Amino acid sequence: MKLSRRFALTRLLVLGLPLLVTAAFIVGPLLITLAVSFWRKKGFGMEPDFILKSYELFFGGPRLEVLERSLWVAVSSTAIMLLIAYPVAFLVANRVRADLTRVVLFLFAAPFLVNYIIRTFAWADILSRTGPVNETLVWLSLTPEPLDWLLYSDFAVYLGLVTAYMPFMIFPIWLSLSGIEHRFLEASWMLGEPPWRTFWRVTLPLSMPGVFAAAIFGFVSAFGEVAVSLILGGTGYQLLGNAVSSALNVLNFPLAAAISSVATGMMLVMLLLWYRLFDIRLFLGKIMGRN
Amino acid sequence: MLNKILISHNMNRRAVLAGGSALALGAMAGLGGAALAAGRSVTLADIGVGDPGGDWSKYEKATGNKVNLVSMGNAPSAVTNQLIAGGGQTAFDIINIVGGMQKPLVDNNLIHKLDTGRLANWANNDFIQTYLSKGTPGFDFIGYGDDIYGVPTILQGDSFAYLPDETGDLDSYGALFDPKFKGFVSLEDNYTTAGQKTALYLKKSGQAKIGDPADMTPEEIKTVMDFLIEHKKAGQFRVIWSSFEQAVNLLVNKEVYVMDCWEPMVFVANSKGHKVRYAAPKEGYLLWAMAAYIVNNPDRSEQDMEDTYKLLDFMLGPWYGAKIALLRGYMTNPGVIAYAKSHSDEFSAEEAAKVASITENVTAKFAQGGTWQNRWPKHVDVYEEEWQRFKSA
Repeated sequence: MKLSRRFALTRLLVLGLPLLVTAAFIVGPLLITLAVSFWRKKGFGMEPDFILKSYELFFGGPRLEVLERSLWVAVSSTAIMLLIAYPVAFLVANRVRADLTRVVLFLFAAPFLVNYIIRTFAWADILSRTGPVNETLVWLSLTPEPLDWLLYSDFAVYLGLVTAYMPFMIFPIWLSLSGIEHRFLEASWMLGEPPWRTFWRVTLPLSMPGVFAAAIFGFVSAFGEVAVSLILGGTGYQLLGNAVSSALNVLNFPLAAAISSVATGMMLVMLLLWYRLFDIRLFLGKIMGRN
Repeated sequence: MLNKILISHNMNRRAVLAGGSALALGAMAGLGGAALAAGRSVTLADIGVGDPGGDWSKYEKATGNKVNLVSMGNAPSAVTNQLIAGGGQTAFDIINIVGGMQKPLVDNNLIHKLDTGRLANWANNDFIQTYLSKGTPGFDFIGYGDDIYGVPTILQGDSFAYLPDETGDLDSYGALFDPKFKGFVSLEDNYTTAGQKTALYLKKSGQAKIGDPADMTPEEIKTVMDFLIEHKKAGQFRVIWSSFEQAVNLLVNKEVYVMDCWEPMVFVANSKGHKVRYAAPKEGYLLWAMAAYIVNNPDRSEQDMEDTYKLLDFMLGPWYGAKIALLRGYMTNPGVIAYAKSHSDEFSAEEAAKVASITENVTAKFAQGGTWQNRWPKHVDVYEEEWQRFKSA
């Protein structure tokens, strides 16, 4: 009895402290942001109120287009990133020797040793009209003049997003794939299923928690992106993060809070979906080294 | 609570921090109390323009004080946020930013009214009388209401850059919208620069009725943005730049031939061996000034205030002005030409000539005129909303 009480107390302390920190530094600011989104802008400050003006401004003005574009860019870039990350993770999980897996995974993390802004600026140089890609294309006579669409275009933004976030998506997918019981695959083979049907009906469904986790990483990152759209996007390629910065520049904190709250709400919906559709404990269990 | 205790003992936070640091250092070095009686440290928050190459020795020698230079953003939100939420009101003594921010800063009680009588270099600075005196548009860069808040550290007139080998000579903002350069034009991501230059062009060329390009009505702002959107949709603009490095790269890589930008970008591009010119447009310039404000810290002692004024006065002085002119290419104060020329031990003949050339060049820009940049126009929310419309179009 005494022991279980002590255990309960220890558990409360061990779990309570992180929960408290999470509440204070993550949930608290989000709730404050939500509250501020209903406040009234007054001069250069704001006062507590409960009005929908900031939301009206957001949904009634040009920022709605920005939201639509951000959503489309985030969804489509996430899809592209998944299409690349999944085969890579599949190869690492099934074709790379176990003793080399760490090295290969480290190689995917290597680009992150260079600052993300510098990497994005490097793309601008590489893809510019006088950059190495265009110079090579012209030198090889593949194009008579430099290709304008390589930079300051949708192509450049997608390239920037994919190279920035896709490597992050490999890890959760690899984690899911490497945790699949080989007995299931063997059972499918013994029942006479061809490899592609085994993949379609066994491997893919069992790897979905990792795929969805990767999708959330990709979507959240692309949805809140600021630098890639600014540096590679051309004439005012606005994403939601840029709209928040712009509202802050005129000290319109309620509007910035409303935009942020909408974005947070959408991401929360994705997390809830993940929670409802997959057993999150299975995925986390694999991270913790438990099956 | 701590504040109350400190105030009741007639001390301030800085004294405690300084004392604590000094004691710690003294204890570490095994020094006696006499060695701790060194000067104070005055904190200058700057946007990256007011640093004289890290050399504050003249100020330090004259006053016994140190300068603690810290960086800060120049956007209105960055300035106000750093002062209100970022602890800047107690940590900074002076902020040196692009002027014209008095309204939000004064209304939020963030800066201190200046007593110009405490600045020896104020009275003999005839740039202030000529360009920034009360009743002129330039006053909005240092004053608010009847009072003066900012010490002008830099004056400049902006236009646009171009690559003469690709475009020939250009002398009008019309080049930014000329279909000849379609896809080879870039604008700054800033409605108070790109937007205002466009308004100046539309007004001067008679294409739109605009009363004051520096403070447009909502209808006028809409007209300007419609014009920009029309050209954007026609593919006129390659990119809207948002950082110094990005703008320089656009020029040196010949990604664009005509660019709405700042003059130092042209200096950097030229220093890299590229041929870039800064235009002298017939419509005039976008005139602006940087201002150094005293941060309103209620805990500041009179001695700290005196030291702060001494640094402001130093920044109005000829050595500092000449150094900044050389480093940044901006006009600073009227004493710099004579000072640089007569102090060959500090400035070479070449440097003195460069200081004179920069000052004369900017003086000529001010003589021609144009429009004074307005960082906080009356309808600033409409500007922002319309700029969003332009960017997302």
